[in-house]
Amino acid sequence: MTDMKRLILTTIPFLATILVSTAANADSALVEHTTLGLMTELEAMRNPALHGFGYRTSFSQLSLGIDIQRQSQAFVLEKGTGYTLPYLKVNTFHHLNSRSSVWGEASYTTGKQHNIRWNSTSDYDLLQPYILADTLGGDTRRERYAISGGYALRLGQWSLGAEMSVRAEQEYRQHDPRMRGIVTDLTMRLGGSYGLGRYRLGAMIEGNIYKQTNSVAFYREEGVIPEFQMTGLGTEYSRFSGDKRSLYYDGGGVALMLHASPINQNGLYTDITLDEHRYHRKLADYNSMPLTDLYNEHAGVTIGWKRVRNYKIAVFGHFDYTRRTGNEHVGGTSDARYFPVIACLTMYKSHLLNGYVGALLGKANRHIVLTAGYTARSEEYVYPQRQLGTSHVFAQLQGQYFFRPSNKLWLTLNAQASYRACVSDEFVMPFANMNANITQLMRHKYNYDKANHTTIGAKARADYAWKNTRYGLFAELGGDFTFCSVGEHQTIFQSSIGITF
Amino acid sequence: MKQYYIPLSLMLLVVILNACAPVEDDIFTTARITITTGDDTSITGVQAQAKLTNVNTRQVTSSADFVVNNITLELLRGAYQIDIEGVVACVSQDGTTRHRQFRCQCDYAEFASRDMNEITLNIIFLD
Repeated sequence: MTDMKRLILTTIPFLATILVSTAANADSALVEHTTLGLMTELEAMRNPALHGFGYRTSFSQLSLGIDIQRQSQAFVLEKGTGYTLPYLKVNTFHHLNSRSSVWGEASYTTGKQHNIRWNSTSDYDLLQPYILADTLGGDTRRERYAISGGYALRLGQWSLGAEMSVRAEQEYRQHDPRMRGIVTDLTMRLGGSYGLGRYRLGAMIEGNIYKQTNSVAFYREEGVIPEFQMTGLGTEYSRFSGDKRSLYYDGGGVALMLHASPINQNGLYTDITLDEHRYHRKLADYNSMPLTDLYNEHAGVTIGWKRVRNYKIAVFGHFDYTRRTGNEHVGGTSDARYFPVIACLTMYKSHLLNGYVGALLGKANRHIVLTAGYTARSEEYVYPQRQLGTSHVFAQLQGQYFFRPSNKLWLTLNAQASYRACVSDEFVMPFANMNANITQLMRHKYNYDKANHTTIGAKARADYAWKNTRYGLFAELGGDFTFCSVGEHQTIFQSSIGITF
Repeated sequence: MKQYYIPLSLMLLVVILNACAPVEDDIFTTARITITTGDDTSITGVQAQAKLTNVNTRQVTSSADFVVNNITLELLRGAYQIDIEGVVACVSQDGTTRHRQFRCQCDYAEFASRDMNEITLNIIFLD
């Protein structure tokens, strides 16, 4: 905690000085679309009916950039030691007229993920723990195409909106074990909002379809290594592990979001989210035999109060709960490569609680946000019993400042510092019946799950406006440094250049 | 406001109905294995080790708690391979008691039902 105290004590005067200093009026589209002050509206803007009228100005940006992450040792073995991901992205928000608006984004990302181990499946965060894994791993190459677009229309007190996003991604390795994951992810949102008195009420429903084809091949004559069908906390589905290396994931889900906020930005606001997604893992080799089903259920609520006058002031509290339930299908005796399912057992359970309170203070061109909270995560494999649980307290301070050194130049500075400290942990494993590799994997997971993290980061952006045109140039440079109490660290570097219009 | 209750309730219903993950916490079952000689000889006692290997998880459960000619085990529901090896006390029709070495094997037995699962296996004498 001493590190954190020192960090906060040195950062607060800096951010406070920025906040009270005078600066040019920030009324540009850039400020409106990138301000930290939007954080009280961001959740609600998942509703396309609210997103369509969330900004007064139109803003578009074409950017060419690179995201780099390096960890001195993988914090999560399955995600590797970092990535190098150059990208080209264009995003736009445009008011067609006073009653309708459109927005969209298209991007292409390609690059490398470094030193992945115990994972041969793409989208680890989404599908874990039900992944294909091996002990060897290595670097993978990634290629992602993403496109999204939305439209919103205002009809009197009503506003209606629709949005669709598609992600197509492939991840592959060009040396043994040659994993390949091909992902298609489609999300559609329909939303509406209604102005009732001094409040705007909103509702949004979202549907998602997810598919991944996943396989591992070996070309070299040295032979093959087993691929494990992981089932949580170091367990595996032994019968279909080894040489069963071709499978696919079939999933999707729905989400509902309700929202209420004061039209004049002064008063109480709330966002409520409920969502459920399920992912079925099937063996392609055996007539699509279902192996496991994963159910992700999430509920979240944010309640806050805000006031916008000379300064924007907001205080808010957020609480969310995520339950992940994993069912294993028990295969019977095979008949012509067809395995009947004779039982379905809930063997994996995970609970994640997250709650925080925060405060935002800012003017048009400068904002400061302080959040502090508690998070608890527990994972359990029912039999033979394995348990891993950790809980942390955390605090984060963020600041943002826009200023204009000359008529043509805008500078944006962002800074953040956070600290996350473990307050309790639990680790139960049947070590006597575990092999050395799995023991090492689980000890690594436990050590990093219960670690404390200290992060500091900064980002600067310069926007140059061409005279008498709506076009501008920008360059952005940012970095984060995280120190982990295990004795390792993480560095993130972000850089981009592009045009705004 | 009343006109909004119906669409909002329907949306909520869709999410809630979809959100009910089928949880099956009833993961254990009871299995009773009975061994017979396959002829008119009756078994009066067994001293043997029963080894049950879960076909899917390769987890092994062992027990030697035979009561006369059967053994009852608490197991994870699933499919099992059964190996039993030991000594059995048999009484023939003329009343003679013999102690004989035996072995019993089954490559696939389904113990998937939530209630009692029963199976009868014929023994093979090794002497």
